[in-house]
Amino acid sequence: MRNLRRISIVLCISILGIAASCHKPGTEATPFDKASLLTNFSDNLIAPSLWMLEQTVNNMDSEFANFQANPTQANLESVRAAWKDAYLTWQTVKPFDFGPMKSYGFKAATGTYPSDTAKIEANISAGSYTLASASNIDAIGFHSLDFLLHRVNALSYFVGNANYMTYTADVIAKLKSETTTIVAAWTAYAPTFKQSTGTETTSAFSELVNEFNRDYEIVKVAKLGIPIGKQSLGIQMPEYLEARNSAISFELLRQNVLALKLYYNGNAFSTENEGVGFDDYLNHLDRKPLHETINANFDAILAKIDSFSGSMEANMSTNPQALDELYTLMQGQVISLKTDMTSAFGVLITYQDNDGD
Amino acid sequence: MIFGALMLFGISRFMFNGWVDQLYIQPTHYFTYLGFDWVKPLEGNLMYVPFVLMILSAIGIILGLFYRWSASIFFVCFTYVELLDKSNYLNHYYFVSLIAFLMIWLPANARFSLDAKFFPSLSRTAMRQWQIGILKFQLAVVYIFAGIAKVDSDWLFEAQPLKTWLQAHHNIPLIGSFLQEEWVAYAFSWTGCLYDLFIVFFLLSNRFRPTAYFFVVFFHLVTWYLFPIGVFPWVMIFSTLIFFSVSFHERILRLLSSKQLQLRSSGNPLPMPRKLVRLVLIIYVMVQILVPLRCLLYRGDLFWNEEGYRFSWRVMLMHKEGHATFYLVDKKTKRELEIQNADFLTKTQEDQMATQPDMILQYAFMLKQHYDGEVLEFGDYKFPIDDPAIRAKIYVSLNGRPSQLFVDKKHDLSKLPYNLAHRTWLEPFKK
Repeated sequence: MRNLRRISIVLCISILGIAASCHKPGTEATPFDKASLLTNFSDNLIAPSLWMLEQTVNNMDSEFANFQANPTQANLESVRAAWKDAYLTWQTVKPFDFGPMKSYGFKAATGTYPSDTAKIEANISAGSYTLASASNIDAIGFHSLDFLLHRVNALSYFVGNANYMTYTADVIAKLKSETTTIVAAWTAYAPTFKQSTGTETTSAFSELVNEFNRDYEIVKVAKLGIPIGKQSLGIQMPEYLEARNSAISFELLRQNVLALKLYYNGNAFSTENEGVGFDDYLNHLDRKPLHETINANFDAILAKIDSFSGSMEANMSTNPQALDELYTLMQGQVISLKTDMTSAFGVLITYQDNDGD
Repeated sequence: MIFGALMLFGISRFMFNGWVDQLYIQPTHYFTYLGFDWVKPLEGNLMYVPFVLMILSAIGIILGLFYRWSASIFFVCFTYVELLDKSNYLNHYYFVSLIAFLMIWLPANARFSLDAKFFPSLSRTAMRQWQIGILKFQLAVVYIFAGIAKVDSDWLFEAQPLKTWLQAHHNIPLIGSFLQEEWVAYAFSWTGCLYDLFIVFFLLSNRFRPTAYFFVVFFHLVTWYLFPIGVFPWVMIFSTLIFFSVSFHERILRLLSSKQLQLRSSGNPLPMPRKLVRLVLIIYVMVQILVPLRCLLYRGDLFWNEEGYRFSWRVMLMHKEGHATFYLVDKKTKRELEIQNADFLTKTQEDQMATQPDMILQYAFMLKQHYDGEVLEFGDYKFPIDDPAIRAKIYVSLNGRPSQLFVDKKHDLSKLPYNLAHRTWLEPFKK
């Protein structure tokens, strides 16, 4: 036994020795706490965005009630403005597809596109429908309103067809009641969310990182890649454009990218107040160059979006080269976010407990 | 017996977590092993059959009932399931397969089993030395090769990937902030390496065995707590008991049983080991030693190229994250299409594929087969696809380094050979 004790003492000393020699003064890592990141996200980013969504959706609802009572072109314009406001706010909520949003299927019900306009028309002429059924997922949500409110001669449909008016009212009512539900559900879920700092895939932190990445990829693919022909051998697919009728594709894209940039930095959307975000975590892990790359990429993407004038559809015919360049910029950022940032965090992407072996 | 119980637990956990469906029913494509392409999953819910068989045979092993049949069935089913898709490869599944294989040949039913009760001719109190020896050898191989694999600059001098994994645990009460310290990652790395290298020798020595076993339990409990590695720590904790003497095991069994066990010292005489057995043993031992060493035959960085990586007890050594974009290129029109990996692969498969060269090739072949001869229609355009090129741009980050180009878009992956030869199409690794 004496021998063993001697061995273990030697072992301990050598480990301490190694440890001491590696513990250079001055490289003291900045304190970092995932719980404070989650608290910041919940209190300052997620909840305020949800409130803002509730507010803008309610506003859209009351503008529509006003329009229903008095269907004039001017009142329709007010509904359109309120819709755009709410739809843009939705871009700041959609990266948070976990917790109650996931369990209620809120993202799919709110943000699915392209819409199936034939289905919408069929529902209207039938006059009876179950909007909550899975088959109607592409006949509801913000995007169906792009068609209903912005199609050519929209006012004449509202005035000439009572079913058309009712269907639009039903879609808005559904959005409104679901938003209210989610806001309440988030308040109830928030304490759980803030506590869940583990590395397992079901932890709030992992879900936050994974959904952040997933949303970024969806933005890249759906808002830009598919319409400009990235998945169709270069043949442009304008029917896959988001908000083609209202032609606000660029604004939605920009808002979504901006939201992701602010969230990456832990900043609130409305106030841009600085808080604990992924950037602080990367700095804490001595990955400052990566952090700077990610922010530079975001800025380059936003600048590129701002360089366009006119709608995305117009640019698809006049300026496809520039759209391609935008896509390449967005593609490069996927590597930084998904590969570099995620691996630095040690978050699991796979769903089984088998990583690392 | 313990092996049976653990496996029963492991398999049940597998089923209750819904992994059968997720891993073997939902995927539309599977990544087979080279030489085992003929291993195919069963249709739909029939895939549950091997799992049920495994549960029954695990119970058989526990009770020692129809032992040899149970052990054989368990081995066949388990190995079959593992061979289906290499995205699910884990060292400890391979270990279970090997142990299950060895168990078939060991008379673990000779005592304290229903077989011994029902068929007294099988009853025996002694085993051949080789029968215990081969299990000890197997464990020694696992530990020592795991230890050798850790003698690596990333592991010892960068404390990676442990540094990445440990920092993520900073919210564990009490020890969380402790795990943040850089020296802790180094201490874990060095201890882990020394442990793996030398634990077997301590277990073999009578003098240090109890202390060594204490370290075994402690070490594996720590890994079980910190890392998501399932039942593996328990498998190791219990299998290392094999190093203890006969009398030790009898004491434990006596403690567990209310009745005084009758220790029949007589029983049937041992059969002589046959020449064949000896030959098979020698081959088995050689294979176990040579397979983990095959990486020496390859040039380039082992973790980057992953040539000779599997079946070599390289445990917890890598943190690899990758992003792969595949392109279908129509050679006639030079037009290209970006493939959505999610259309073909599950999330697990996609993640595994992005960093493992052999799977990248298999996926490219899969895509070629899918598109070749198809007519793609986009709007008013029709593209008959004939002998398309499959290209990919893949970035990989290894052990906390910034990501680097792994596969360049210049290669038509569908034309590359899929074999065990050194792969020259991977971009070189820059430290």
